[in-house]
Amino acid sequence: MQPAVPHFLPQIKKKGRANRKDLANWLTDVENGTGGLTARVMANRFFYLYFGTGISRSLSDFGGQGQPPANPELLDRLAVQFYESGWDIKHMVRLLTTSRAYRQSSLTTPKLRDLDPYNQLVAHQSRFRLPAEMIRDNALAVSGLLQTEIGGASVMPNQPVGYYRHLNFPIRKYKQHTDQRVYRRSVYMHWQRQFLHPMLKAFDAPSREECTAERPRSNTPVAALNLLNDPNFVESARVLAERVLREAKKDDGARLNHAYKLVLSRDPTDAERKTMGDLFIYAKKDFKQRPDAAKKLISIGQTPADPKWDPSELAAWTTISRALLNLSETTTRN
Amino acid sequence: MFDQSSNFINRRTFLAKGGFSIGAAALASQLAKAGTTGGNDLSLGQVPHHAPKAKRVIYLCMAGGPSHLETFDYKPELDKINGQAFPESFTKGQPIAQLQGKALKAQGHLGGFKQYGKSGQWISDYLPYHQKMADDITVIRSMVTEQINHDPAHTFMNTGTAISGRPSMGSWVNYGLGSETENLPGFVVLTSVGGRNPQPIASRQWSSGFLPSSFQGVEFNSSGDPVNYVSKPAGVSSGHQDALIRTIQQLDAKRNDLVDNPEISARIKAYEMAFRMQTSVPELTDFAGESQKTLDMYGATPGDGSYASNCLLARRMIEKGVRFVQLYHRGWDHHGGLDKYMKICAGHTDKATWALLTDLKQRGLLEDTLVVWGGEFGRTPMFQGKGGAGRDHHIKGFSMWMAGGGVKPGLSHGATDELGYNAVKDIVHVRDFHATMLHLLGIDHHQFSKKFQGLDMRLTGVKPAKVIKQLLA
Repeated sequence: MQPAVPHFLPQIKKKGRANRKDLANWLTDVENGTGGLTARVMANRFFYLYFGTGISRSLSDFGGQGQPPANPELLDRLAVQFYESGWDIKHMVRLLTTSRAYRQSSLTTPKLRDLDPYNQLVAHQSRFRLPAEMIRDNALAVSGLLQTEIGGASVMPNQPVGYYRHLNFPIRKYKQHTDQRVYRRSVYMHWQRQFLHPMLKAFDAPSREECTAERPRSNTPVAALNLLNDPNFVESARVLAERVLREAKKDDGARLNHAYKLVLSRDPTDAERKTMGDLFIYAKKDFKQRPDAAKKLISIGQTPADPKWDPSELAAWTTISRALLNLSETTTRN
Repeated sequence: MFDQSSNFINRRTFLAKGGFSIGAAALASQLAKAGTTGGNDLSLGQVPHHAPKAKRVIYLCMAGGPSHLETFDYKPELDKINGQAFPESFTKGQPIAQLQGKALKAQGHLGGFKQYGKSGQWISDYLPYHQKMADDITVIRSMVTEQINHDPAHTFMNTGTAISGRPSMGSWVNYGLGSETENLPGFVVLTSVGGRNPQPIASRQWSSGFLPSSFQGVEFNSSGDPVNYVSKPAGVSSGHQDALIRTIQQLDAKRNDLVDNPEISARIKAYEMAFRMQTSVPELTDFAGESQKTLDMYGATPGDGSYASNCLLARRMIEKGVRFVQLYHRGWDHHGGLDKYMKICAGHTDKATWALLTDLKQRGLLEDTLVVWGGEFGRTPMFQGKGGAGRDHHIKGFSMWMAGGGVKPGLSHGATDELGYNAVKDIVHVRDFHATMLHLLGIDHHQFSKKFQGLDMRLTGVKPAKVIKQLLA
């Protein structure tokens, strides 16, 4: 038995046994190998990352059962750019994100939606829910908790007690980290194959049992409960509230504006100001009446609350921050 | 800055007026237009295809593979050759799990067998409470599956294929029939504590695969929060959380006025169910309303995470409209110490299973609830001795039972050969079991498909599958 490539593709031309280097060369050789296909598949995936759907919608099937590309000329052009740049991924990211297509608004019209339901011709930018990791990273980033250090061992943020109870051979114990590591980017989170963190799972990160080119983007009550109640998000909300109190002028309106700026990069509309204002008044009154409850809420998480803030005030702003972190706009690439 | 006199509009008013119901309708039409998946798409045809006999399913999954030879399948011939070399005519070229390359010896039954009830079903001494329900259950004594290791065998039993990433039967059923409750997920999975050497059960077993994720099974935990993150954060009252969720929904609805995105309508709905689950889930798991008599009948202690408690919970779930409850009890993997561990596992499950069936019967629920009992495979008639006599995995013949909704009670269906090795009479493949289950639910398995990767995917796949007519009442 000798290693070989599928018979319907160009063959590796080598006398004797082909090794992994031969395979790598074959994969990227556009003249004699299968480099053209590799470049197209990769270009399609880059496009998917920045436009929400591939030029061909089947990311992992360029064969007879895949979807033909909506714009073959564009796919080819991107593929050529990719290998001519020396397979430079950074170049591709720059190319895509500085394009006019990328910088369009994501607003659409019923007519455009009818004409091109998957927006494959990119008459506007696409709107899609962020991947699991980015939802968590975003909450940590806007609150200022995010640790941006690169590399190193996996980290273990808070996870429900007993989550590994059904794991066996051997029995595992999850030991939550108790330092700044819990605020590191989600790519560094510990992945227990098949038992990945419930937050990652709720937002469709794969269980890593098989290669996943495209994740589903679900919209479930389990995910809603996660964003609402997971102590990691509650902590991010409270630390975000502290940041707002610390950075904004001592005025509720200015504070709300600042919170919107931090989370959504815009000011609230009048209608939003009114709705959030109603919630704030309710929350503040509620926590004034129940100061112990306020203290409980602001004690969630590893970073202690700054004692200089009145607990009821901070708890009320935590409620506002929780609302913001739960918005569709916050968890959506707009 | 903020208007101090403001008041929240009534929650229901908001939901009625503010885009929730309208949003849902719009969502359906937009999804239909976009060709993405909604509830019943056209490929399903009219579901149900015929009048259903069962409306819901409780699937008691005895994970690990209980021995058919210590439960339902009595083979006097096996006892006669106990300890002797197992005839090679049976085993030559057959798939063998851990006994590969070992001398194969016959292992006679541990424990006795007798016939019970008017039906005269053979039931082992290990299952005294099953003996009482001999006339209520239909035992299939001729099951076969295709996978000899736990994880792929579960996958096969749940999805009809060993390839991971396909929808589980609970997802299929909910996809076809929809949910009867807005307060709880339609497909719930329970895993109980106790048993021997429990195998891990991956959440892939209740994945919705290529079906929309809203049809995936939601796992209830046996300790801690019944559903992950269903508890409000410390210090946040129900009213406070309600106000928060209402605000999120209102702001999302406003956003939707601008961007007109069907996903937002779905999201508002998801937050609505999340809100309701925060009340309905704790209510469900609070057994305070159950009489001591009921608790005693099941042998359930509230909060113990036992199979008994989960059986009671399953009944409470189907009463509230959950369509498919799958209850895993792990620990049936008896490579050795079979006698000891049969007693332990039967001790955990026998009485509670009887109590569940009895309770359903008393409440008139058994008529339209299908109850299924079985593992992912059976066990060899050959000896394995990892710490006392035991048995290896076996896929060529094993037993399961069905009861309730539309199933002929007290029936004994099919048979294995004289040594309990191969199913030989009226063989029931896992696909046949799926076809029969779907039939009872009013679904024709041939017509029940979903386009994926260019194929019309079905729970029963493309290989022959048949409804077992003899099982139908």
